[in-house]
Order: sequence, then C-alpha cells, then structure tokens
Amino acid sequence: MPSSIDALVERLARNMAQRISRRSFIGGVGALLFGAAGMPLLPVARGESTTPARPDAATDPGDPQSCEYWRHCAIDGFLCGCCGGSGQSCPPGTEHSAVTWVGTCHNPGDGRDYIISYNDCCGKSACGRCLCSRHEDDKPLYVPFRSNDYNWCPGSKVGIAYHCTVARIVGVAK
Amino acid sequence: MAHGSGMNRTRRAWARAALALMASTCGARGWAQLPAEPPAVEQLPSKPTPHWVWVNDTSFFAYPDGRAFLVDGDSGKMLGMLSTGFSFNGVLVPKAGGVIYSPEIYFSRGTRGTRTDVVTIYDATRLEPVGEIEIPPKRASILPMAGAQALTDDERFLLIYNFTPAQSVTVVDMRSRKFVGEIEAAGCALVYPTGPRSFFSICGDGALLVTTLTDAGTLARHVRTAAFIDVVKDPVTEKGVRWRDTWLFASFEGVLHPLRATAAGVEAEPTWPLFTQQELAQHWRTGGLNHLAVHGGSGRLFSIVHQGGPETREELGEEVWVYDVASRKKAQTIAMRNKVGSIQVSQDDHPLLFACAMEANRLDIYDVTSGRYLRTVEPLGQTPALLVTP
Amino acid sequence: MQPLAQPVVLTPTVQANYMLNCMGCHLADGSGAAGKVPSVRDSMVILSQSVAGRRYLVQVPGASQSPLSDLELAQVLSWMVRNLSAQAVPPDFTDFTAAEVASYRSYPLVDVRDTRARLLQAAARSADAGD
Repeated sequence: MPSSIDALVERLARNMAQRISRRSFIGGVGALLFGAAGMPLLPVARGESTTPARPDAATDPGDPQSCEYWRHCAIDGFLCGCCGGSGQSCPPGTEHSAVTWVGTCHNPGDGRDYIISYNDCCGKSACGRCLCSRHEDDKPLYVPFRSNDYNWCPGSKVGIAYHCTVARIVGVAK
Repeated sequence: MAHGSGMNRTRRAWARAALALMASTCGARGWAQLPAEPPAVEQLPSKPTPHWVWVNDTSFFAYPDGRAFLVDGDSGKMLGMLSTGFSFNGVLVPKAGGVIYSPEIYFSRGTRGTRTDVVTIYDATRLEPVGEIEIPPKRASILPMAGAQALTDDERFLLIYNFTPAQSVTVVDMRSRKFVGEIEAAGCALVYPTGPRSFFSICGDGALLVTTLTDAGTLARHVRTAAFIDVVKDPVTEKGVRWRDTWLFASFEGVLHPLRATAAGVEAEPTWPLFTQQELAQHWRTGGLNHLAVHGGSGRLFSIVHQGGPETREELGEEVWVYDVASRKKAQTIAMRNKVGSIQVSQDDHPLLFACAMEANRLDIYDVTSGRYLRTVEPLGQTPALLVTP
Repeated sequence: MQPLAQPVVLTPTVQANYMLNCMGCHLADGSGAAGKVPSVRDSMVILSQSVAGRRYLVQVPGASQSPLSDLELAQVLSWMVRNLSAQAVPPDFTDFTAAEVASYRSYPLVDVRDTRARLLQAAARSADAGD
C-alpha cells in the first residue's frame, strides 16, 4: 500500500476523532476484548511469550503432540509442541506469525466446536519433527482464509522461513 | 541412447591420447597401469530426449536448499541438478530450448535477512546460471504446483503468482529479460495460460479472473466470469492440466470440470465424473498433490486415486487411472508399486509415466502403453513434489 | 472433588464469523500487516460514511467472496466498524443491511487498490472542504 494513502487515512481519522466524543470509543473496545463472563475472546497479543495452558484430560482429551489430537483437525506442518514450543506457543527465537488462517475443530471431550488459529512460527528452517498433514474442511489456495497449503510465514516480519505450526483456541463456535 | 553421446569430447580426446601412449610403451603385453585422468565436467546433449524429467524438490525439511534433479527416464540415471533456493516450486523448460527458467528466493542470511526474489536463467547444456532477473519479493510460498508459475503460450512472458497475503501476478519479459510489472489479482489465485497474451486465475467465489496482456506484457483487460463451481460444496483442486485449448480440473468429489479457452474468454464445458456410482460407493477418490497429468497426443488424462473419506483427498494413491478425455471413459488402470502423490507423463508416442511423493525420496517410472513398472531412481532428493517434462 | 464447571461462553456468532473469515489476515484488532494487509481501524469508519465507500466494503473480495450470507456479511461489517475502529463511530453511522449487501455484492470488484485509494482521496477532499 502506498504510504501516502496510509498517511491520508491517519489524517482523516484524526479529523474525525476531533469531532466525536470519546465515550462510545471505550465501550466499543471493551466489548471487543472481553465477553460477558470476562473471559478474553479475541487475543490481541502478537508474538509475545505466554505461559502455555495445561490441558485437562477430560475436557481436552488426547496427546497434544500427536497428529490425531482433536485441535489438529486441519493442521499442515510440524507441531510446535515437538519443537520447543507448545500447541499455543512458538519455540524460542521464532516469530509467531499473526497473519494466518482460522478453522474449526470438534472437541470430543466436551462436544464443542472450537475456533482454532493455526499460526506459523517463522524465522528458522524446518523443525523437522512431528510432521502432520490433515485436511478437515480446508479449501484450495484460491480460498486463502481456509487454506493450509500456504506457508503462512509471509505475513510475518522475519520472512518466510517456516519452522512449525501452533493450534490456538481463539473462540467457541458452538 | 548410447552412453557415449553424453561424454565431453575433450575428455574422449585425452583418453585416446593416453591409450596411444600406453600402447606405444607397453607393446604386445597390454596395460601396465591405468591411464591418468584429467579433470572434466560433463555437459548435457544440446537437446533433451522426450524421456527426460525434471524432479523438482522443494526440500521441505531444509527449505532454503531447493533442488531440481534431471533424470533420464530410460536409463534411470541422474544427469544433473540445479540448486534453486528457498521454497522452491519448479523449473520451466521453454520448448525453444537452450535455457531453463527457475523462479528462486534467497535470503541474505539463509533463513532471514533481506529477501531477494529472482528468475534465474540456466544454460540447458551446462546447467549453469547465465542470467538473473530480479522480481518483487512476493512469490507465493506454497506446496509446489504447476499453477504457481507459467509461460504465456508464445513463451515470451513468465507469470508468477504472488501472495503476501495480498494476491498479484508478476510478469517478466523473458525475451528482454526484464521485469515488466505486477498485476493486481485481489481475491484470485494462480496462473493458467490460455494464449500468447492471456491467462486465468481462480477466485475465492468459484469464478475465474481472465487477464489479457498488452503486447508489451502490461495489463490490457480483466474480466471476471460467473462462478463455475460451488466452492463450499465441491471445489476443484488447483492442479488443473491442459489438453490443447482446454484446462481440466478435478473436484474434491471427483467431478471433472473442463475449461475451454476461446477468443471470447474461458468457457465452462459440461462436467463429467471420474468415478462411477459404484466406485464412489467404494470410496474411490483422487489423491495426492500434483495428481493429474495429460498425454497430449493420445488425449488421455492420468489421475492418482485411492480409497478413503473426504478428508483423505491429499493422501497418497496406490493406482493411476487413465481416461480418454474425448469419450470421457476410463481406459486403463496402472497399479503403483509404491504410493504416490505426484505424476507426469512424457509427451512422445511411447510415453513414460513418472511418479513420486514428497514423503519418499525416489522416482518411479512406468511404461504407459503396457502399464508395466520399469524402474525406480533412488535415493533421489528429499521431498520431490513436482515433475516437469521438457 | 472437582469444582462445578464454568458456564460455557460461546463466541457470539458475528464475532465467530469475523474470526473464521477475516481475522486470519486483518487480525483480532483489525490492524492487519503493514504493506500486505490493510488496517481497517481507521479506514472502515471513513469509508462507511459514503455510498461508494460502503459499496467498496461489500465488494472487496475478502468480503464479497466469503461464504457468509448477505445478512451475516452485513452483521460482520457493522460489527467491524463498531468494534475495530480506533476512533469513535459517528452517531449517524447506520448498520449495513442484508438488502444493501445484496445490492452491491453481485458486482465483484477487480481494481481494489485503486478504488480504495480513490475513495480515501475523495473523503480527504470532502473533509478539507469542511463537509
């Protein structure tokens, strides 16, 4: 995008902000980040390290380092859990690529359909372990937001060196 | 083909001289010792045989180190190799001969640093780079497929699909060896040429975007067709193959969608099934990665198949079914010795079927007419993914 | 003894539709990726103020080509304007309707970049003129 357009947008936005009160702005952001029960629904953090959540065997069955794990229903790549990361976190020194594709997997433990974000960890060559290629309800390259045959590292800052893939829960569909 | 035809003439001259020297010193008793051997570098013959195949290896486990292996299908010998950089898709071999084109990606520090995308031009007999054209560092990094890059029908322009994730097409003039420009292709993917200045891409709503270029390779016109598939219910795979003026695409559920290039644009022709009701009931479906191939002369379509549920459509197949495109009937079944994911067919009158899989480092070769397994070339590469015949 | 299970908090359908069809590229806060995916945090409010801008928001391939119905797309676009904008939403902003989406959607946009630039430049000219 030409930077002149971005500068234009910024100027327009500032112009608008001066004309509108701030109260409605705060309400909007609050509704975005937290659902009714106060649980975060749309994680905004990008690439920062987090403490990986520990699955409860009853509601989150299966081995997170296996291809058959329920969250891996449409994963295509190396499982970061075998590479020094986890199902939610990237291995040290790799960049969690925010741009990716988002799918849905059914959890047999609690019967829910979870929204899963398959982010790639980038900046290093292949982890080479736990290669897993599953295609539940994914689409060809011409439907990019449903396609796992893209290397999703191009959206990262560090570039297209693909290392591994995580499978993060970002919501509950039903 | 005689083995000697591949030898460097200089090397033969040296050998003859050495023999003559030995004969003159050793007399009637024969050799006293083996002759000294000067260093030499092989060159390929100036023209490929129809049974050569380029085995393009994307090196998924060592992504910076892509390779293209040249194999002689008749002898099973590896003839040479190209080192082709990051997230390698495949080489393009213009029919005019003499050169090989290879879109390549390099990082200044291997896996990081400054990214540079180029089209490398290799001399086809020496397999050495003789030219390089820099292009926008946006080439799509995907599982290898033919639709990622293509030459226009007159081989003047090279088209490359970009994904950043913004979608566009890079156009390179291979005659002047210059980057021409980048054409926006929002919402549409890949490049399928239909003429000397035209190609189509497939859009996310199941329509086609038909792009016409000016004579200089810039954008002349964009036309969107109506949707030809239901993307939600039964999309086609990207691995279409071309027979004359018609592109043949297979859907997830085995429906064959012919797309014919006409003066007006691209027309969807009536579809036909790759599987009978009985075969569908037995869960036969297409499998693999680059799972279709065409033999132009006989009008035959080759398709990797296996039995499995819908989510198995990218799994390897154990058979290749051959269809007569004109009559839309299955004509032949070729059983695979090993499970395969990518196939290609030579375009001569005694064609060979080449087959490989990213999961295995080998190339299998079959005789098409008899369906007979001939030979395997192994070990070969790391994750061979796309087969290209010259 | 296990504590009683927490009540299930389903992601509201509109947000789930944003996650599945848009969030992968535009990200959770709509900021996208500079040079690759446009941010929607400033531009959507601006574009939603004009007919041509609203038409663009429906016709841009990510929106028009999504598997969402016209009603679902209308709801997602409205949600995006109201929740992903960095600035407050003008009180006269009206939600997208299914009929509105349907009227624009069947004419997919090909020149996306130029159209977006043109619309934003036009909006800037209006703002400068004190509209």
